[in-house]
Amino acid sequence: MKKKALVVDDNANNLMLEKDLLDVAGFEVFVAEDATSAIVIARKEKPHIIILDVRLPDMRGSEVARILRQDKETRDIPIIFVTASVMAENRKELTGITNSGFIGKPINTRTFAKEISQFIN
Amino acid sequence: MIIDQTHSLFEDIVETIREPLLVLDSYLKVISASRSFYGVFKVKPEETVGQLIYDLGNKQWNIPKLRELLETILPQKTSFDNYEVEHDFATIGKRTMLLNARQIKRALGKERIILLAIEDITERKEIEAGLGKAHEELRALTTELKRAAQVKSEFLANMSHELRTPLNSINGFSEVLYDETFGPLNEKQRQYVNNVLTSGKHLLLLINQILDMAKVEAGKMKLALSSLSMKSLLNEITLLVEDMVGKKKIKMLLEIAENLPNIEADDLKVKEILYNLLSNAVKFTPEGGKIGMRVKKADSEIEIVIWDTGVGIASENMDKIFEGFFRVDTPYSRLTEGTGLGLPLSKKLVELHGGHLSVESEGLNRGTSVRFTLPILSRMVV
Repeated sequence: MKKKALVVDDNANNLMLEKDLLDVAGFEVFVAEDATSAIVIARKEKPHIIILDVRLPDMRGSEVARILRQDKETRDIPIIFVTASVMAENRKELTGITNSGFIGKPINTRTFAKEISQFIN
Repeated sequence: MIIDQTHSLFEDIVETIREPLLVLDSYLKVISASRSFYGVFKVKPEETVGQLIYDLGNKQWNIPKLRELLETILPQKTSFDNYEVEHDFATIGKRTMLLNARQIKRALGKERIILLAIEDITERKEIEAGLGKAHEELRALTTELKRAAQVKSEFLANMSHELRTPLNSINGFSEVLYDETFGPLNEKQRQYVNNVLTSGKHLLLLINQILDMAKVEAGKMKLALSSLSMKSLLNEITLLVEDMVGKKKIKMLLEIAENLPNIEADDLKVKEILYNLLSNAVKFTPEGGKIGMRVKKADSEIEIVIWDTGVGIASENMDKIFEGFFRVDTPYSRLTEGTGLGLPLSKKLVELHGGHLSVESEGLNRGTSVRFTLPILSRMVV
């Protein structure tokens, strides 16, 4: 059975790139362009992994993570933050979020799917 | 006789004192004054001695505060210290004086005299006021500078984010296309998309180097120090460079001393410095030329010289090469090569380690040699 991945990014181009790379790697991919729909899809589909942008139109990615961590159903889903905010001061808000990883943009398309897979048990 | 002698000794003491000093009798008439009293307050001895203090200099000394001190306070306490008195003198203008007085008995006889020291502190007060003002201004400036640094840092973080977001698409999609993940390209298409990818990566390198420069300048670049084996580090780098050297048909000569110790430095940063300098050497050396690296221990440092027989640097450009974005015009380097930040950034990274970097060239087309040092034990300013 295919592993489910949820990709969240408000930039349509980047969303398509990440979705296509995971498609090719054999994931069943769900997409969301904002935090609210991401949370709704996460609760409904219970993906194996969530690829989450940090700057979203309706809330910060770190806030999305906090909400998902409070819910028993979504608490253990690994979250990979994929963000263009790579400077040290931007990364502070992501520390302490359990079961999470970080990939800076621009992503390496040749290793992206492999890096994501490593976070799934 | 004895009295006279005492008197003259007394005069001598008064004369010697640097600050204006008045000796008054118990009726507040001037017995004697120090030379500086006459100098500072622009009065003549003949208009002074024997006069009531308040009458001095056309009654300029009729100062209410002074009256109070001499007539009320002094008789009760026999002394007063550091009374500040401000007065506008007709001859010398507004002065601030610091008054000290002692009422003493003369050695022989019952006569009392008053010693009144008058320090003119007008200039000192002005300087103090000036200092206070300068201090305030400095404090305001510091606050403003801190705010500006904060704004700059936020601007850079935003710039970094805003540039990386489209670059993610540019580099990402062109990489996927070039890899033919979704179907084959013809030769021209592959070439074009590779050009897009190369330019995108160049842009990313620029962004990273600009941010690094800004970080160094803001004092925010932190070194991750560890003990590095120079030997294996140099091996690793030369393997990387050999590839470039081979493609361009130039020769690389290595003279690496046997006795190189480990050094305390930041692994990635040292590699970045070496890579920047060696790739510059390759870039600016035409086919058939030579590049080389000499590494040796010199006292408490490692000295590294990276040289080439390439295009060199005209003496008038020597200062510009560290400014950033300066690139030697040459038929051998294409526009897309290099960011013009490699050398200035390398210099800053060397200095961050406590080393020095300098560039020598005998002129255009006579090669370049970059010499830098890295301390064996870090002299990083923490």
